[in-house]
Amino acid sequence: MRIPILKLHDCLLISIQWELDDQTALQFQEDLLRKIHETSARGVVIDLTSIDFIDSFIAKVLGDVISMSKLMGAKVVITGIQPAVAITLIELGIRLEDVLTALDLEKGLEKLRRELED
Amino acid sequence: MRKLIFNYVQTHKSEILGEWINRMKQEADERAVQTMSAQMFTKTSSEFIELLVSNFTETEEEFQSKVTGFAEKIVRLGWPLTVITLGLRIFDHIITDGMQEEELVDHHNFMEFSSEFERWMFPLYNTIIDAYAYTWERTVSLQKIALQELSAPLIPVFEKISVMPLVGTIDTERAKLIMENLLDGVVKHRAEVVLIDITGVPVVDTMVAHHIIQAADAVRLVGAKCMIVGIRPEIAQTIVTLGINLDQVLTTSTLKKGIEKALEMTERKIIEVEEEQ
Repeated sequence: MRIPILKLHDCLLISIQWELDDQTALQFQEDLLRKIHETSARGVVIDLTSIDFIDSFIAKVLGDVISMSKLMGAKVVITGIQPAVAITLIELGIRLEDVLTALDLEKGLEKLRRELED
Repeated sequence: MRKLIFNYVQTHKSEILGEWINRMKQEADERAVQTMSAQMFTKTSSEFIELLVSNFTETEEEFQSKVTGFAEKIVRLGWPLTVITLGLRIFDHIITDGMQEEELVDHHNFMEFSSEFERWMFPLYNTIIDAYAYTWERTVSLQKIALQELSAPLIPVFEKISVMPLVGTIDTERAKLIMENLLDGVVKHRAEVVLIDITGVPVVDTMVAHHIIQAADAVRLVGAKCMIVGIRPEIAQTIVTLGINLDQVLTTSTLKKGIEKALEMTERKIIEVEEEQ
């Protein structure tokens, strides 16, 4: 099952609603990059509110997607990381440095808007 | 044999009680006896002897529940365990001596008597010690819970700003708790800035710093900013001497400055209100 990527003005909106398996994650990576290319989006918001658990592979893919999107000129904001997920990420040593984060989708969009204006 | 002992105890109950109280007063630790009034002592003592006697008459379960109830009562009264075990020993001696005096026990049946008596007393020891141990364990676990509750509270001071004051040494277990409370609190209070106040942390070594950095990172991941406040001069010295890199975390010396900075970050400030004329 593919993860839907929605376009909102010059942003892309992704809400991940279920636990990702490796295949879906890689598929998502490809889809997102192609979409950024097609729409020449300037910002991407990935919402993880419904994710309670994350493994090291998914975390790595996520980190990669963020760096790749950055290379393609899109700013990425991750929103709604749950406490348990944050602890797992830190324990796995995945610090997602210089990634923008926000509490929820609303704040994430605000943050992205501000970043894009600068 | 059992009947013999029972009859003896039943008929000599008041003498045994008197003797027991006397000997307890002599032998028990002065402090233990003095902490309670004479009346209370006599009352509890007679209850104790009554209980020992009832060991013969009642069924196992009834006796068990009685002993447990009594033990809980003594624990509340603050009788030390040593006083109780001493009491049991003295009771043992009184019965043995008394029965020998009346020649109910002699050389021939002493073995039988002693094993029967032992079988009777042993569960009693067990139950009372169990009751004591249970009370202690409960106290310890309650204190542990209380300590945990005290260990890492997150206080929402302003909208979007929360403070977690830390007091005392931080070990790995506590660091984990701090991290969990911090993250859950951030999400719950929808905080944008969290201040960790380490004024009360006596020593910041590499491990503590590592935990703090991890917590700060995790807070960043859930979408808030983390600030370490209350860095005392000696802590600043240790941090630099140990070569700990706190560059990625905002730091200030006092909570006051931290709050000001946090307000600034959330685009607010505190102003003085002019007095109305």
